Amino acid sequence: MLSRTLRKSVLDTKLSTSTLPPTFLLPFRARCFNSTTQHIDSPPEATDATLGSSSVPSVPTSDNSAIPKANSPPTSIPTAPSVPTSRPALSDSVKELLPLLRAQPAHFVTAHIHAQPYLVTEGDIVRLPFHMPGVVPGDMLRLNRATSIGSRDYTLKGTPYLDERIFECRARVMGTEAEPMRTKEKKKRRTRKTKTVKSKHKFTILRIAELKVLPVEEIET
Amino acid sequence: MRSGIGLPKRTQGVLKALGLRKRMKTVFYPVTPEVAGQIMKVKELVAVREVEKALSKEELKEERRPDAGYYLESAAPR
Repeated sequence: MLSRTLRKSVLDTKLSTSTLPPTFLLPFRARCFNSTTQHIDSPPEATDATLGSSSVPSVPTSDNSAIPKANSPPTSIPTAPSVPTSRPALSDSVKELLPLLRAQPAHFVTAHIHAQPYLVTEGDIVRLPFHMPGVVPGDMLRLNRATSIGSRDYTLKGTPYLDERIFECRARVMGTEAEPMRTKEKKKRRTRKTKTVKSKHKFTILRIAELKVLPVEEIET
Repeated sequence: MRSGIGLPKRTQGVLKALGLRKRMKTVFYPVTPEVAGQIMKVKELVAVREVEKALSKEELKEERRPDAGYYLESAAPR
């Protein structure tokens, strides 16, 4: 209840600019109710952190967005272009809170590659547990399946996946990495038969090159 | 969906006759009284749905395959 009034008061001050005001413009209660005591990078608009403390009010509603995801047709194995289809509109709560999420700079995303989740942020290096076929170093991949995206105080969760228009996540293929050679002895009983099996797998390395939350106006168009 | 282990041999036989030899197996049958009777016999173990056309084994597998979650946006010169 308190958080709702708080959110409303915050939103009223903010909706005009769609960005976060500097800390001294926030209501006093908002500053009191910061969930995190750690230092938070102030958004780029609030250039000087005069108050020194964290700047963004905590709105504890990480709304589970009711965004039904239109099923894209089954894609081919390595490279699948996105199919622009008519999508359902964003729900009101997402429209309301997405600017706040966007204003808080450092974002994380839980991107799913072959249904495996990878919790990453920009600049991370990911060693996939497999060798991705059909890519070479330098390729730019677009990751378009995510279950959650968020910043320190806001999280947008998908049901189960997020609408892929909300965010842009790109990963650059850095190369492949190989594990040390593994040898395993396969021995048959009561005979002299011994086989040594060798295996050496390759793993693709990705770097998250870009991660951003798109503004609501771009998503709507 | 559920296994027939521990059930009477007759019930297990019905499952086998329907082609349900493992758990989570999907089979397609035309709507006939014979099949309906078989399904009635094992109705606690299976889920039934009416579909337009039967899917092949490959199509079923493709349906289960999760989305890749990425696509190649810009390729490096190779």
